[in-house]
Amino acid sequence: MMNYLSRFAAVVALLVATETAKAAPDASPWERSVVTIEVTRKQYDYFQPWSKRMESVQKNGVVVGPRQILTTAEHMNDTALLRVQKGGHGTWWNGQVQWIDYHANLALVTATDAKLWDGLEAVTLADPIPAKGSAQLARWRNGQLETHKAELNRLIVKHAKLSFIDHVQLELDSEISGAGWAEPVISGRKLFGLVCSQDGINCTAIPAPFIKSILDAQKKGPYRGLGYFDFVWTRAENPNTLKFLKLEGEPRGVIILDTPSLATNSAPLRPRDLILQIDGFEIDVEGNYKDPAYGNLLLENLSTRNRWAGDSVRLKILRDGKPLDVNYTLPKAKYTDELVPEEIFDREPEYLVAGGLVFQPLTEPYLRSWGGDWRRKAPFRLSYYTQDKPTARRPSRILLSLVLPDPYNLGYQDYRFLVVDQVNGQPVSKLSDVQSALAKPSGGYDVIQFARGEAVRRMVLDAEGIEDATHRVMQRYGIDRDLVVDPAAAR
Amino acid sequence: MLRFTYARAFKTLLWLLAAALAETVRGGDAEKSVILISTFSQQPLWDTPWRFDSVHKASGSGFVIHGKRIMTNAHVVSWHKQVLVHRYQDPRPYPAKVVFIGHDCDLALLEVEAPGFFDGLEPLEFGELPKVRSAVITYGYPAGGEQISYTRGVVSRIELQSYAHGGNRGYLAVQTDAAINPGNSGGPVIQDDKVVGVAFQGIPGLENTGFFIPPPVIQHFLKDVADGSYDGFPQAGIRLSALQNPSYRRSLKLPDNDLGTRIDYIYPIPDTQRRLREDDVLLQVGNYPVGSDGTIIYAGNRLNAAVAISEAQEGESVPLKVWRDGAAVDVALPVHVYQADRAEGNQYTLPRYYVYGGLVFTPLSRDYLRTLGANWNDGANSDLVYELYYRRQESPETVRSEPIVLSTILAHSVNANMAIHGRALVDKINGQRIEKLEDVIRAFEASTNAYDVIEFSSQHTLDCLDHAEVAKANAEILKNAGISKDRRL
Repeated sequence: MMNYLSRFAAVVALLVATETAKAAPDASPWERSVVTIEVTRKQYDYFQPWSKRMESVQKNGVVVGPRQILTTAEHMNDTALLRVQKGGHGTWWNGQVQWIDYHANLALVTATDAKLWDGLEAVTLADPIPAKGSAQLARWRNGQLETHKAELNRLIVKHAKLSFIDHVQLELDSEISGAGWAEPVISGRKLFGLVCSQDGINCTAIPAPFIKSILDAQKKGPYRGLGYFDFVWTRAENPNTLKFLKLEGEPRGVIILDTPSLATNSAPLRPRDLILQIDGFEIDVEGNYKDPAYGNLLLENLSTRNRWAGDSVRLKILRDGKPLDVNYTLPKAKYTDELVPEEIFDREPEYLVAGGLVFQPLTEPYLRSWGGDWRRKAPFRLSYYTQDKPTARRPSRILLSLVLPDPYNLGYQDYRFLVVDQVNGQPVSKLSDVQSALAKPSGGYDVIQFARGEAVRRMVLDAEGIEDATHRVMQRYGIDRDLVVDPAAAR
Repeated sequence: MLRFTYARAFKTLLWLLAAALAETVRGGDAEKSVILISTFSQQPLWDTPWRFDSVHKASGSGFVIHGKRIMTNAHVVSWHKQVLVHRYQDPRPYPAKVVFIGHDCDLALLEVEAPGFFDGLEPLEFGELPKVRSAVITYGYPAGGEQISYTRGVVSRIELQSYAHGGNRGYLAVQTDAAINPGNSGGPVIQDDKVVGVAFQGIPGLENTGFFIPPPVIQHFLKDVADGSYDGFPQAGIRLSALQNPSYRRSLKLPDNDLGTRIDYIYPIPDTQRRLREDDVLLQVGNYPVGSDGTIIYAGNRLNAAVAISEAQEGESVPLKVWRDGAAVDVALPVHVYQADRAEGNQYTLPRYYVYGGLVFTPLSRDYLRTLGANWNDGANSDLVYELYYRRQESPETVRSEPIVLSTILAHSVNANMAIHGRALVDKINGQRIEKLEDVIRAFEASTNAYDVIEFSSQHTLDCLDHAEVAKANAEILKNAGISKDRRL
């Protein structure tokens, strides 16, 4: 008797469980649009640039079109393996990055196996989105679609997560923890954005209208990428300064302080110009314009609001008291435009090993080897280069980052973190410069001159012994290649 | 029985060792010449330079030397408002005055006007640089105690050390395992009844480690002040780099031995720049041959060659032997006290300033930077850090003799809308490049323009003031802030 009762209870339990499982898909249609992406990617140790390891992370994606999953670009670089899972459990399908824009922090992922797409539905990107109100954040956890309440706070223009460009972003509050992995911000059946960072309960998301404009441009092709304003401006809140700059009437506009040292499209602008209008929008003394959809936004948004690299922007400026209309062509956002590139994606770190001397370009990924607090922990002079501008003579800087001890380089074994100025009398700003200069020794010696202000100015090595020493060092320290150089950077 | 014999023998050995140690160190009567010093001091506030911090009381030690003077550390009496000295077991405080102070070498001399103060006090004699592993006794009044304290220790190391009081100078120093605590500072270190050092600093976190200033540095100070003024320790103005790579040595046609170190950089000191070149190889300083690692043998110790340079007095010539173009040449190098980097160290003169329209201008210095908080050298102030510590070597053609910062703004309607709120390096005022504080004053006072234009170094920021409005407001701003004078030059 007891046995029958037990079996009956088990059957009831199974029936209830089956009902729950059937009901789940109807509970949230987002289960058919939100997927999990697993990325295994190469991670480099910039202190030993020949050394790499693999790291896997899981993040979120949203189906936005036929065989198209939208996610953030962060952690999608240097991918070795990419897999997609739907429904929060079960099979992982191999996928690949179809398109990526690191400056926009957006990527599209696709997969060839048709089974992945069975039952998945594309969502609509909201445009416009409300700056206030409620929404939800969604993600798969332990086989369940987890949703968290979110309160939208404001739309604000600030630095992109992976770039120096500024664009509009959505700030919201949520009790979710561990966010910033492209969790979709959802409301009804519409996507409001993708979360790209979290600080306490404050989350920042890339807003859907910004995403939509980029996806539309990408679809239409050819995609030119984002542009930006490459001049430095300041608020014009001091009426005395505006009077000095001969502005009549009410205070308005912003003051140009600096323009790039390298000739670019912003050449029509000069320091002390006042920018009064951009594309017909009045600019106030705080640098804001009145956006038709979102109200007061920082003028930088006018460089990314449905604008692309190479587009012309109309500026009304005041120069020496005279109004002028100028056309400003938006330069393309490129990491290599900076003296110290902020990011390096999808390529190995460059380095050159010669006689045990390790040369590397000075980059922010290299500086970040000192940890999250690198601005304080890295050698001051190295981190201060991030504030310097590139020049035609010095578009970038090369370091003697390390000396791998060998009898050949005896006496130099403590040299490290030294910025190289010249090799054999040739100015050096790229690894290829070092390589070509080392091929032309001076009087049988290689002479390496460091930048003024370094702890040591010069080192001299026997040119004849350098090749043997390089082979010996590579063997002893387990280095398979003596030179890794980006062909694009070498030009 | 056997055990008893061993124990007795051990006790005897201990007694003999103690007696031997006491015999070696001696100094039993020295305590009468050791002085307790109480200093009431007040330091300026470098970001609001007309103000002072609260009055601070601290104690240190000193000792009587020839000429009825008391030797102590400079840091014991710096920024003093009053210095009181106390004789051994004498309850009376005696006012003293600082007659000479060497902030670079952390030494000072005091005089006491009260008649009879020196009665019965024997001046202590100076000895030689003690040997490593020899025993010394430190006398002083540590930790604010009123009773003299004796600490026995052993000389554990002799080397060039950074002198913390000056902040950017290093001289010969002796390390001992005798604890040197606050209050010990300025006290004599005795060996064979003679002073072989002046206790002066420890290392935070390192227990039983103290440093004292040895006789060569003390004698240099005393010789310097003999003419009635203190000049300081001169510098050669060269930076040495070890020359141990065989290729580099061959390229300079140098013999493959352990002699000679390379002159890597020459500071902008005309006498040095005229006589020496980069890549000259320093073979000898005075009578000291220089090793390939930049060291000399000095009194049996291998020390940085800078020790030999620091034996010279201001303006004296130091005979050098250098290797140049494949041959040895003799060079007589006049050496001078290097002043150009004084703002990089700790300063002990009242900060200069000028207040105009509520804008407070003062020279950039390490003292000023420290007012920005414990993390003053982080990214937020990197322009200031670069200007103070890096520009001189990296870009000497752009160096200003006295970089000026807008340290703070005293709020008033004439400056209420300024974009800059302080902590900014000044580039130009009314079109004039600012090299020193006097340029700031001249640029404002000589202007006849309607607006004063202040340009800052960081990203070429500029701000303007209404010249006429400022002229009307200056007195009121000073009065509101309690500033009696608009400038200290």
